[in-house]
Amino acid sequence: MALPSMGWEVSAMKYERYHIPLKSVPGRVGPVPKFVIIRADNCINCGKCEKSCIYGVHKRSEADLRKMADPDNNLCKNCFRCIQDCPQRALTMMVGPDYKALGRGLWTSLRIFTIWSESETGKIPVFGAGYRGLFAGPGYDGMWTDMSEIVRPTRDGIHGREYISTSVDLGSRPAWLEFDKAGALVTDMPPIVELQVPFVIDTTRLRSATDAMKTGMARAAKHVDSLLFAAPDSLSREAASELNAHFVPVYAEGTDLRSIVLPRGARMAALTLGSNWKEDAKRFKSMYPQTVLAFRVNAGKDVEKRVLDLVKAKVDVAHVLFDEEGMELDSVEPRYAKDSLRAIHKALVSKSVRDQITIIAGGGIAAAEHVPKTLICGADVVALEKAAVLALECRDCMTCSMGSCPVNMGDAPAEWIENRVTNLMGAWRDQLLEVLGAMGLREVRRLRGELGRAIFFEDVERESFSDIEGGAGDG
Amino acid sequence: MAEDAKACAKDMPEAALVPSEHLRFINRFTVTRAETCISCGLCACLCPYGVHKRVEGHVKILPPDDRRCIGPSCEVNYFFCVANCPTNSLSVGPSETFVCLGDPRWTSEMILATWAMSETGRPLPLDHPGNIGASGGGFDKLHFKLPELKGKVDPDQICTTIDLNRRGSGTKIRIPIPIYGGGMSFGSVSTNTMLARAKAAKRWNTFTCTGEGGYPDVLIPYKDYVITQIATGLFGVREETIQRTRVIEFKYAQGAKPGLGGHLLHDKNTPEVARMREAVPYTSLFSPFPFHSVYSVEDHKKHLDWAQSINPKALLSVKVSTPNDVEMVAVGSYYAGAHIVHLDGGYGGTGAAPEIAKKNIAMPIEYAIPKVHKFLVKEGIREQVTLIASGGLRTALDVAKAIALGADGAVIGTADLVALSCVRCGNCESGRGCPRGIATTDPGLDKLTDADWGAERISNLYGAWRLQWCELLARLGMTDISELRGRTDLLVHGNGQPRGSSK
Repeated sequence: MALPSMGWEVSAMKYERYHIPLKSVPGRVGPVPKFVIIRADNCINCGKCEKSCIYGVHKRSEADLRKMADPDNNLCKNCFRCIQDCPQRALTMMVGPDYKALGRGLWTSLRIFTIWSESETGKIPVFGAGYRGLFAGPGYDGMWTDMSEIVRPTRDGIHGREYISTSVDLGSRPAWLEFDKAGALVTDMPPIVELQVPFVIDTTRLRSATDAMKTGMARAAKHVDSLLFAAPDSLSREAASELNAHFVPVYAEGTDLRSIVLPRGARMAALTLGSNWKEDAKRFKSMYPQTVLAFRVNAGKDVEKRVLDLVKAKVDVAHVLFDEEGMELDSVEPRYAKDSLRAIHKALVSKSVRDQITIIAGGGIAAAEHVPKTLICGADVVALEKAAVLALECRDCMTCSMGSCPVNMGDAPAEWIENRVTNLMGAWRDQLLEVLGAMGLREVRRLRGELGRAIFFEDVERESFSDIEGGAGDG
Repeated sequence: MAEDAKACAKDMPEAALVPSEHLRFINRFTVTRAETCISCGLCACLCPYGVHKRVEGHVKILPPDDRRCIGPSCEVNYFFCVANCPTNSLSVGPSETFVCLGDPRWTSEMILATWAMSETGRPLPLDHPGNIGASGGGFDKLHFKLPELKGKVDPDQICTTIDLNRRGSGTKIRIPIPIYGGGMSFGSVSTNTMLARAKAAKRWNTFTCTGEGGYPDVLIPYKDYVITQIATGLFGVREETIQRTRVIEFKYAQGAKPGLGGHLLHDKNTPEVARMREAVPYTSLFSPFPFHSVYSVEDHKKHLDWAQSINPKALLSVKVSTPNDVEMVAVGSYYAGAHIVHLDGGYGGTGAAPEIAKKNIAMPIEYAIPKVHKFLVKEGIREQVTLIASGGLRTALDVAKAIALGADGAVIGTADLVALSCVRCGNCESGRGCPRGIATTDPGLDKLTDADWGAERISNLYGAWRLQWCELLARLGMTDISELRGRTDLLVHGNGQPRGSSK
């Protein structure tokens, strides 16, 4: 039945709130069980465990009803009910060996596991019984975001009652606009790319990236209105026509700019900082004045000076690169991204040029909380690298080059990749909204460099424990 | 002083042994018997703990009961089964199951120690590893500088009482131990769990709290020991529930999810819960954040006045989280008329909460207590405020450390649940709720917790904690727990950057 026309429906009134549609996207290979239950030989098949377990780990064998089947460890949630109730004490539990072997450094098994489930469900991880991790840690683990209470306004963006914007701009923003007497704009407007989420995907530093991965991730980027950074010619011709607006070609150091042809419809391009980058910047600006120009800079000693140089050369975006652990690359005494970004942000603010350049920070973004924390430290946009691959069930085993991927990444279809990565970005955006809501902020642009709305380990430790023997004040 | 102490240490509940055999399913060690065993039975004759047993008339010996094993340190004994086995079929090692229990904040040692105290009421030695977590910061890095004990501890000579109203006017309420129970709503936990906590609170003449989910009728006989919580969703808050209580708690925020309001996921909103909350069954219930009627300290005062006019005798408690400006919030609450300022830091909490909120939003309670304490002292109002800390206080020593940092007392949530046999698996937020029958409203599962059994266990835990505080105070040469407040000079901090990366 056709609905009657509303008459007043005007296209301008068709307001749609930005929203990332999410759906369950099951993994292609079996999950890695966190806990493994072992049934010893003295089991008498009494079936008590089947009654005890509310998750269905224990079932009778379908082939032989007299026997208990092997426990379905993927369903186990570590409640110990079966172990407690077993009259034969035939059950024991252990941390799954595959789970235990997952990850290293910043990328802990729990973080990898969390990314998998976020990419599968698109949901925010919620559990009861409080926090169960370490008190604090290096880098972003040594900071807390602030919240609003009684004496400050708050936002209820989480349940959709108030709209919290997560959109950001890439590009240089003029400090003011000038108009002539007739009211026409005379300011030379620099190109700007607006994204609906403060994160982009960057495949250029991945150990391996298949064509399907690049296409799938580019579609995911289009889906959420973000960008994919990849080597030029990454997209097939048919994909390119549809996705170029969300594709940023990244040119390696030493590329001769005269030889490049930007993909049709590309809104942005990235060059790598080399010895004659100033000429490159000038040449690019004259060749493509309406394209946002980004330069990739390795974070390291004096990175803040290099970013200031980029501002002088009228580069629109500085893409600052950290390593997988979120530390500076080119330095004998590498700083954490947390400290490096704060230094860059403060340097730009002190020279009053903060809005003339956009900072993208990439590397060491391993969990949803790293997004708001990176922004607070001074970045405008965060680049997802390894996290986007982990969304595809990657086990982070580093054997890609040997061609022995345990999850057969090479066979993953682009559509599945698109949906998994979309789910991850959706879950992370929702978690960003939680943080913004708690802080009482209405838009993510306000979060950038809000250092006063964060709590840093070394500061509070000094403030609260300095009068205690052995406390922060004593060294 | 000693006379006072004697008076306030009177009539403490006695500990009673609570049968909890089923909770002895886990041990640090495991004993394995290899295939080569010939069932000679020597081990059964030797082991005095009963690990090895043969049923009369059976050919084969039973699998080892490793719950009773004392571990490899047994090797010094002549009866050590591993050394005596003629076929070398036995081995003793650390238990895999034991490793699966607990986490850096609540270590397996801590859970087992809490269970032992709940079962027997006997205090844990102050140097036992179960007193401290392995999170590498905060309370886990703070230690008391403890002199050796001179003579014997006489708990009758030590006062652990605190005042809940330190203002000049209004009802005086004193509780004999410096703790009371935190809010856990009906819906998040079962009535049996609430009842167990209320019964224990009555026995100790302290409090438990309704949380934000209404006031089940079964709690009415314990109304003098139950705090009515008014939270942002106002679920189940009525005039009569405010009128029947001695303490009204305003929950502005909770440490487990600062700035996010309350969650009750749809599965747990059973028809009974929904009736109590006047909501639609099986819908997810979210309390908003914040109170939409409170956007300033003036609004806040109006809010407190409103509740006080409904129940003029009740004390007012204000529960807030720990933002950067927590000291301003505390001072504002005091001037608005609060008797109790309750700081709830992150890292604690029992309810469903997004993982991102647990570690990352608002500061841990260890930082907030000295901040607020010092500020209240500077403002000259410290002696009019009862400062209560919660959020990640797991043991008696954590409570003592919080007091040494500047709090008057503490609120306990998770420890109560652990006393009721919680293993902190964290799966209480959805589905049928807690598989162990604590944080659930599932009509089958909630039978797993017996209210009287639970009350005894919680009461035993409080008793054991009191004895731990008594020993601590005695060793510090104090007779009253209020002497400990703000004594940061008695603490020592194991300094340095926190180790490792977050789990």
